[in-house]
Amino acid sequence: MQSATAHAHETLGHDSHGDHAHHHDVSFIRKYVFSTDHKVIAKQFMLASLFFLFVGGLFALLIRWQLAFPGEAIPLIGNILPDTWVSDGAVTANFYTQLLTLHGTVMIFYVIIPLAVGMFGNFCIPLMIGTDDMALPRLNMYSFWLVPPAGLIMLTGFFFDSGAAAAGWTGYPPLGPSSGAGQTTWLISLFLIGFSSIMGATNYMATILNKRAKGLEMFQMPLTIWALFITAILIVLGTPVLAAAISMQLADQYLHTSFFMPDNLLIGAPDNSLLTGSFVQKGNELLEHKQLLGGGGQPILWQHLFWFYSHPAVYIMILPGMGIVSDVLATFARKPLYGYKAMIFAIMAIGFLGFIVWGHHMFQSGMNPLLGTTFMLSTIVIAVPSAIKIFNWLGTIWRGNIRFTSANMNALAFIATFIIGGLSGVFMASAPVDIYIHDTYFIVAHIHYVLFGGALFAIFSGIYYWFPKMYGKMLNESLGRKHFYWSFIFFNLTFYPMHLLGVGGHMRRIYNPYIYEFLQQYQPLNQFITVAAIILGFSQFILIFNILWSLKYGKKAPRNPWQANSLEWAAPAHPGHGNFDTDIQVYRGPYEFSHPDRETDFYPQWEKPKDEPQGDEKAVPETKEHSQSA
Amino acid sequence: MSFDFSKAMEWAYKDMLTFFPENVSTFGGELDSLFAMVYYASVAIFFITYSILIAFIIMYRHQEGRKAYYYHGNNLAEFTWTLLPTFLFAGIGLVSDDAWTKSKYSQRVPNPDVTIDVMGFQSGFGWQFRYPGPDGVFGNKVRNQISSANPFGIDSNDVHGKDDLVIISPGGARPVEAHLPINKNVLVNLSSNDVLHSFFLPNFRVKQDAVPGQWIKVWFNGTKAGRYEIACAELCGSGHYNMRGLLIMDSHQDYDVWLDQQYKLQKPVLSAPVSDSSAVAAVASDTTTTKN
Ligand code: HEM
Ligand SMILES: [Cu+2]
Ligand SMILES: [Cu+2]
Repeated sequence: MQSATAHAHETLGHDSHGDHAHHHDVSFIRKYVFSTDHKVIAKQFMLASLFFLFVGGLFALLIRWQLAFPGEAIPLIGNILPDTWVSDGAVTANFYTQLLTLHGTVMIFYVIIPLAVGMFGNFCIPLMIGTDDMALPRLNMYSFWLVPPAGLIMLTGFFFDSGAAAAGWTGYPPLGPSSGAGQTTWLISLFLIGFSSIMGATNYMATILNKRAKGLEMFQMPLTIWALFITAILIVLGTPVLAAAISMQLADQYLHTSFFMPDNLLIGAPDNSLLTGSFVQKGNELLEHKQLLGGGGQPILWQHLFWFYSHPAVYIMILPGMGIVSDVLATFARKPLYGYKAMIFAIMAIGFLGFIVWGHHMFQSGMNPLLGTTFMLSTIVIAVPSAIKIFNWLGTIWRGNIRFTSANMNALAFIATFIIGGLSGVFMASAPVDIYIHDTYFIVAHIHYVLFGGALFAIFSGIYYWFPKMYGKMLNESLGRKHFYWSFIFFNLTFYPMHLLGVGGHMRRIYNPYIYEFLQQYQPLNQFITVAAIILGFSQFILIFNILWSLKYGKKAPRNPWQANSLEWAAPAHPGHGNFDTDIQVYRGPYEFSHPDRETDFYPQWEKPKDEPQGDEKAVPETKEHSQSA
Repeated sequence: MSFDFSKAMEWAYKDMLTFFPENVSTFGGELDSLFAMVYYASVAIFFITYSILIAFIIMYRHQEGRKAYYYHGNNLAEFTWTLLPTFLFAGIGLVSDDAWTKSKYSQRVPNPDVTIDVMGFQSGFGWQFRYPGPDGVFGNKVRNQISSANPFGIDSNDVHGKDDLVIISPGGARPVEAHLPINKNVLVNLSSNDVLHSFFLPNFRVKQDAVPGQWIKVWFNGTKAGRYEIACAELCGSGHYNMRGLLIMDSHQDYDVWLDQQYKLQKPVLSAPVSDSSAVAAVASDTTTTKN
């Protein structure tokens, strides 16, 4: 351990050098705005997505307020919001539906995916495979710069008279195509962000396959990289299908096609008056619109296409997190990752099976129930690799020497919440059990256990873990711990009771549940959830404060603050363009912690074996061969 | 605004299974016990994995001078914990299938004693029900005769359609009741003329999306007379929350009495053509087109 600190000190000089090396020949704009440096792009993804996290969080709290205190003015802001959104300071049904639609869409497409894939993909891949940048840096820059316009396009919907998209994050037709301009912005926005995903993913695949450091075999890459690699494949295979579906829905809206629209629809609620394209006004009444053209479309086709992308998308959101958690756990348990290859095969299995389970979202949709049986079985199979991963993580901390850094606490929390999210998945995987809980708060609980408890906690973990390498400063651990405890406790208080509501039959996406007599008894529970959610929301400011405080006053980070093994820690503490100041040669896998023949409890991938490599014989035979030939 | 914390906490201590509303259908019990089975298996897995997780966190917390065990894993262990969950989950799948096919496969829908048509509607948000009328036979449905006055598109040339009973129930606080008899196999043909809805009978454990352009068979057999709520479970627009309906389960005699009453009240849908817009307005103003 001593030698590590010494090593870190000795290289501080290099750091400042690395940092300033390119300062003079690159303009501010090229360096910080339209940069092609993967690390700058990663930071841009982080900033943009944290911004959207607060936007999406605000929507969530408005939703929660209405469920707890329906019709009562929103505190503080209720009376300053425009009349199209609120009446007497309380959200209207119409606005509520827009909020729940954009909450889901923003969180999934503008927070979790850009953080898990955009930010960590960009930051980790070149550094962890020991190279200077992405294979296609300019494509990388485009992939980020599609995100802000795409997000803003969708949010502009709120300023239309007819409002933002309001057909749910799933945008099911006929509701989707029969609604107004807000839906159009939603479709365009998703199309653009999908494009951004595809550009990023192609780049990740090209980089991982072609730019690994000397001696780095595929099966010596850290799990984070493996997970991002498989994620990239899922993105490239899945997103085009979403793009096709979106184009078809746009065509139904404007080009008089009817991919998803059967004939003779009577559509047009009074407050839904902005109908477009294929709908024609009849008589003087705005109340009725009759579709005159086309017909013969099938609403369920959209669901097949949408979920063919969106089920793999849930793994796009969670796989990077699983990779991060594996690396963080091994580093802080000071132990090799348990079952390295099994973990990789499990990710591959999830990636493959992820494409044949989409129908579990459609058990009640009206598709042939025979397919329900098929999808039930495939869904049940996909729970197995998830279970394998849980056991291997437990195996990793078994007989470890666990350090409770903020990064590691978030990783441990990931395991805890993912167990619950995985188990609730098994309920819904059973098609007959799903009949009753489908489209209730049980689903909402499941989503949040896997996406907030799972993906987001893993993202937090990754932020605490790599922040030193991103900014050259350590995050404040005591603030980190506070952020963790508040988030973890209030996360569970917010989302666990939603399982109970779901079993009580509480439907999701309803503006005022208390219209129903059987739901009136649940108002106190809804209020409890809302209070917990507000605290959970405000706890996130601790993270923001920590980031800002540490950027200014944080301790300077050493080169390898966590005494970890993977290649990013060989780079200077705050690497400049080009990343590494030494030639990287890889000698072993990333998880050689607590090797019995070594004094220190870690053995970096880049460290040259001593002349007499007795202890390493088993671990690195291929590497030695490789280095000779190189 | 009031927030009763103790009331909220009362809920939080209750077992998940106690949250189910009363079940009043024949196959509902089977679905509930499947849920309970998965629930108990999950509780067991939860306690096992959480005990291990917490024990490891405590036992192997950082101690100065201790070195972790250098160990990369073990194939036998991988094998075991691949197979165990596979068997467990596959078991759940296998025992689930019968309940699934029974409730959803059209081949397994029992011979219906009563058949009705149901549609969700979006202009005003509510439910439409069609009973076959005194002759016991539904009129043909023709898609191009669908209008808001004739939402089911009953063929004006079909004599069987003249006496069909149509009930239009706007959602909200005072829906128009639909009645059905208990201890009978009820077949509901479900559809919609506008967007997706989902026909949700919490007490009967029935849920099925209503899809425009498609008639889907839903069946159940109610076991207890009473007044039950119908909900919509699929987002159908800003009035989605308001799509409350009421289903009254009657004894067979009460049901017949109710039907007779309705037949006397009703004005056949097809005999007096009304203009589209006034019919829609009637729906919106909380009355039914069949009762005036
Ligand atoms: C053990 C593994 C899992 C199983 C068996 C499983 C199963 C299911 C099933 C059957 C549904 C549909 C339920 C319904 O709508 O009635 C569902 C919904 C969902 N799952 Fe999972 N799931 C698993 C893991 C995950 C993971 C890891 C994520 C995300 C990271 C995830 C995200 C979602 C989301 C977002 C939905 C709801 C989509 C919506 O309707 O809005 N699930 N899951
Ligand atoms: Cu899924
Ligand atoms: Cu609805």
